[in-house]
Amino acid sequence: MTSTRSLSRRSVLAGAGAAVAAPSIWTSAQAQAGNTIKIGMPLALTGPLGSVGQQQKRGAEFHTKWINDRGGILGRKVELLIEDTVGNPATCVRKAQEMVERHDVRLFTGITLSSEALAIVPKLNEWNSIFISSDNGDGRLTAASLVPNFFRANTSGPMGTRAVSLYLRETTHKKFFALGLDYAWGHNSVQVFEEEIKRMGREFVGKVFAPTGTKDYSTYITRLRQSGADAVYLVLAGDDNNAFIAQAAQYQLASRMALLAEQLELSTMRAVGDACLGMIVSARYAFTIDNPKNKEFVELWKKEYDGLVPDQFEGEQWQCQQVFVAGITKAGSIEADKLRPALEDLTIDDIKGKVHMRKCDHQGVQQGFVVKASKREGFSHPVPEVIATLAADRVTPPCNKMTYDD
Amino acid sequence: MRVTSLLGPLALALLLAAPFGLPIFAMTLLTELVILGLFAMSLDLMVGYTRLVSFGHAAAYGLGAYASGYILLNSALPLPFAVLAAAILTGMIAIGVGWVCTLATGVSFSMLTLAFAQLLYAVSFKWTSVTGGSDGLAGIPRNPGPLGLEVLSTKNGFYYFALACLVGSFFLCRALVRSPFGAVLRGIRENEAKTLALGYNTRLYKITVVAIAYALGGLAGALYSPFAGFANTELLFWLVSGQVLIMVIVGGSGTLIGPILGATFFLTLEHQLSSYTEAWALFFGLTFIAFVLFAPEGIWGLAKRYLGQRAPEETEQAPAAITKAEAKPHG
Repeated sequence: MTSTRSLSRRSVLAGAGAAVAAPSIWTSAQAQAGNTIKIGMPLALTGPLGSVGQQQKRGAEFHTKWINDRGGILGRKVELLIEDTVGNPATCVRKAQEMVERHDVRLFTGITLSSEALAIVPKLNEWNSIFISSDNGDGRLTAASLVPNFFRANTSGPMGTRAVSLYLRETTHKKFFALGLDYAWGHNSVQVFEEEIKRMGREFVGKVFAPTGTKDYSTYITRLRQSGADAVYLVLAGDDNNAFIAQAAQYQLASRMALLAEQLELSTMRAVGDACLGMIVSARYAFTIDNPKNKEFVELWKKEYDGLVPDQFEGEQWQCQQVFVAGITKAGSIEADKLRPALEDLTIDDIKGKVHMRKCDHQGVQQGFVVKASKREGFSHPVPEVIATLAADRVTPPCNKMTYDD
Repeated sequence: MRVTSLLGPLALALLLAAPFGLPIFAMTLLTELVILGLFAMSLDLMVGYTRLVSFGHAAAYGLGAYASGYILLNSALPLPFAVLAAAILTGMIAIGVGWVCTLATGVSFSMLTLAFAQLLYAVSFKWTSVTGGSDGLAGIPRNPGPLGLEVLSTKNGFYYFALACLVGSFFLCRALVRSPFGAVLRGIRENEAKTLALGYNTRLYKITVVAIAYALGGLAGALYSPFAGFANTELLFWLVSGQVLIMVIVGGSGTLIGPILGATFFLTLEHQLSSYTEAWALFFGLTFIAFVLFAPEGIWGLAKRYLGQRAPEETEQAPAAITKAEAKPHG
């Protein structure tokens, strides 16, 4: 017995020694840099917003394959560096820092949560890196928290909310309630919605916030039913959207009030099925958007993914990658000092129509879409049908602001 | 001369020379390691020397991190002063925590420390004006100074600052555990009733050690937020308390140096495993089980054994037999 134990001790020690002494983390990986264009993506691949991160990953990988088949950008292949952050800002900062210091990454995209993005942006100058957001919603990123090396190619939270509120002006709902996720994006969008409703002269009866990853929404639903509202605005995403919508159907919430939302991904529509039918949602991207470039994109996507259609953040990520391509091509470089001026006032015409990266606050000026979850032939689940397309200058806020004047 | 007595100066020399030889990312890791080492060492004062097993040491870390982050964001106070102020603040709050928690002993003490940490965790979510809620505090600067000195704000300057904090705290703790005060702490660890009967107000001693441990844990947290440029609620989560306890046990409790090694081992293993597999936590758990079963004296105890030297029966060192006996309840 004694000898076995001492042997075990020894092997434990040997293992411990090897693990601490030898590892590659203490050495540099920059030597094998090569000539690729590296894009760092610290994504929330797991956790409550994992489905969003997975979409961003697929969107970027699909685009990278497509562009590399065409010879890459400036004759250089694109290489993605993807790491899981679990949606934790501290982990996100650490992984991004590792990408910069070990792998010499100078371009970032895909950081999933707004809270993660808000933690990253103060570091961009020190890292000499450009970060183009493909999904971060928080309005502050292009207002109070704007830094020179940050750009937003996607529709922001306030823009999505604005699209829905412009649509609501044509409807007769009178009393509104809002339910948002309890972090940067949720608070920001609910605040914008509240202001929009009040400016319309209608009644805003209350708001409530749920922690990301809430499994049981029954208490929130009870609160909604008691609020007396005839419409509720949801600022949820990922697993939270699935959980809420499925439970709202059980409680027949839709018979009491209209369900409006800032986001409803296809993955959620697949998961909850008919429970989401009739929901009015602001879409950052929908595969049903009617323009030739989008049709081409959807066909390409279907070919790659066995007939599946692209989801919201897959389309947004594609658009973001296209902004990268146009910017890098125009700059002739990925150096922050050259790429920044090239991205400013850059315009591309792609799957969502024209996107203009305005210089004043680095927000991509683009159209807004309102969709309704509807049945469509050939699909076993509801899909987003575009019911309103709103002009870019109507949905994009004034420079450096996240609220609207009219 | 014993081999182990040479290890200290050698390790210190290596740490001092590190910025000249290591690549930039390794320096980032090393700085984090120095901070975590300090954090783990602070807990050792409670766990290893007084057997006050805290399940809520994240409270100290998070408090320090938020305090220094808030000061640095909202004032021009130079980095070293902000960090020191945060540590002192944490220590002062800990007097209250210690007063409440030492009303109980054993598992109840542990539960109270956990409860306090979870309380702070909840507060950090709701007190948005100070903590930034679930978004945390971002863009925490390393304010220059004092006297216009900018050297501490640089990457390597900050590393040396953190290292100085660790080394300073180490000598402070060592002096403390070798002093008569330390003897009373060990008395409490071995037999509190007897120590009480000898005429020592053991509760006062316990409150003091909690305050010192929290202040040093707070110092580690206060270093972390300007290091990462960021502080959020995760720092106060019970997971952090569990991890630091693992560092202490794996490294070797009641040795001061062991928990620093434990932190090194923890961070390195986490980075190595997570680059190979997403299920790294599983392998990490297995490693922890192996340590508790086969090496209850921890890395430092193993290292001494490996160097062909029995743990010396000096007063400042925990005798091997006691370390072993004390590690058992953790298993």
